[in-house]
Amino acid sequence: MKRNILEWFQKTVSDYPGKVAFSDTENRITFKELSLNAKAVGSAIAEISKDDTPVAVFSGRKIETVSAFLGVVYSGHAYAPVDATLPDLRIKSILETLCPKIVIADKDNIERARELGVNSEIVELESLFSHPIDEARLDDILEKSVITDPLYIIFTSGSTGKPKGVITSHHSLMCYIDAYTSVMGIDENDRLGNQSPLDYIAAVRDIYIPLKTGCSTFIIPKEYFMEPDRLFTLMNGEKITAVGWSVSAFTVLTSLGAFQSKKLETLNKICFSGSVMPSKVLKLWQENLPEAKFVNQYGPTEATASCTYYEIDRTVSEDEVLPIGKPYKNYRIVLLDENLKEVRKGELGEICVSGPILALGYYNDPERTAKSFIQNPCQNGFFERMYKTGDIGRINEDGLLEFHGRLDRQIKHMGHRVELDEIEYAASLIEGVKESCCIYNSEKEVLCLLYTGTAKVPEVAGALRKSIPGFMVPRKLVCTESIPRLPNGKTDMNKVKEFFLRNKR
Amino acid sequence: MKETVIEILASIRPDVDFESAEGLVSGGILESFDLVSLISELSDEFSVTISAKELVPENFDSVDAIVKMIESLR
Repeated sequence: MKRNILEWFQKTVSDYPGKVAFSDTENRITFKELSLNAKAVGSAIAEISKDDTPVAVFSGRKIETVSAFLGVVYSGHAYAPVDATLPDLRIKSILETLCPKIVIADKDNIERARELGVNSEIVELESLFSHPIDEARLDDILEKSVITDPLYIIFTSGSTGKPKGVITSHHSLMCYIDAYTSVMGIDENDRLGNQSPLDYIAAVRDIYIPLKTGCSTFIIPKEYFMEPDRLFTLMNGEKITAVGWSVSAFTVLTSLGAFQSKKLETLNKICFSGSVMPSKVLKLWQENLPEAKFVNQYGPTEATASCTYYEIDRTVSEDEVLPIGKPYKNYRIVLLDENLKEVRKGELGEICVSGPILALGYYNDPERTAKSFIQNPCQNGFFERMYKTGDIGRINEDGLLEFHGRLDRQIKHMGHRVELDEIEYAASLIEGVKESCCIYNSEKEVLCLLYTGTAKVPEVAGALRKSIPGFMVPRKLVCTESIPRLPNGKTDMNKVKEFFLRNKR
Repeated sequence: MKETVIEILASIRPDVDFESAEGLVSGGILESFDLVSLISELSDEFSVTISAKELVPENFDSVDAIVKMIESLR
């Protein structure tokens, strides 16, 4: 049994040393080169580190970033990727939770990391690649590691405006990658097309599947996802066979005219996740790729990106709602009612997950960890952790899980988890905004904010852009006299929704 | 037509000054989901069909480029 992802990696390096592991439109790196880079980074970090706290990584969407992540793992630490394009306030909030002693930044981001890095030692990634490799030390670190050691920390939206750092262990990650590659049928001959930013949970497949199987990943630049013809030409040229993309990548490409003039020639394994796939969009992709396997995946970052999957075995009809299917290997699902009792067959309940794929909790945040990660209430005999997803599900007659929305105000927008409360909180901090209410028009995929106060719309939009990530900034903002209320004083959400339907522009 | 295009753009991204902005797509000002809203609103407003062929940064990088593209499609 493997206890560390580096054991996967080292086997693959010895099996396929000269094979390309990662590439983008400009560069490529073989498994052997990646191993040398990662070991150099690992030796350098091990030399300066004094404890086992996580190392923050500020690095762009490029192949060197993978060397940085693996280097941190070699040094015996967990890595926490930080997207340097986020607003200052957001990054500061992440760093306050993380308190990293060491920050690795690439050339492009080192200045910004210096501006923001609080009391951290900041090292430049590129300069670490020439550091001498200390094999004995790295062997010793690996020898002492255990399977439940944290591998990475990924930050997601939190309703109080403070992002949550989800900690994933080597064990959890290996269970998920193992289950996913077997469902998708991915092996060393595949070429993965990466769409997700590398700091985001969906990217763990594109990073770790090559390390396990010896296949390779091509990082597709973001701008290609706005031009379907150019994207398809690139994917055909690079012979991309498998993708795991957010639903929004498919819906955006479809709205932008995918398949109108170009076909995909090599793609044959497709997994989509992040939000509910409109069947109209799926149908178009199925009709254009009749030989391909299509898999609908559901699951939160807290359960290593996933829970369940559903392999679509027929061309869908336009009004069909897809089930989210059955649990992956090593995932267990129960549906609980509000009294934490298991619901009866066919009833709605909160989707709760257990198994070795559960995160180690939220970093430096025992309160929110205790709220979401609980003792399995159906189990008194021994200690078994369970994660409450906040999602509502139902098991249908075929024994497959269906998704029925959220218990709270969390939504999925363009593949990202967004707490509407967090947007309202950010708005409340802006001068000239008194009250606000944020809603999501899921059909048009637009966030809408209704607010009261003296601030002008461009001012509010500009101020939000400085405190929350771009995808969370509402695209429709309307200033009004008062927020509609119900008799009990709560916001009348239906009135707010109607308001935005009436005011198209 | 230019004013209408600016009005549509401003409704999608109120924080950007579109009168003078250049490199809307190539400079990363508009994100992919902004582009989707923009195309659907432009198609409705001017009754044109903007297909995948038109989706190159040169056609969307400035207000003038957008106006020129719509005129060529009408």
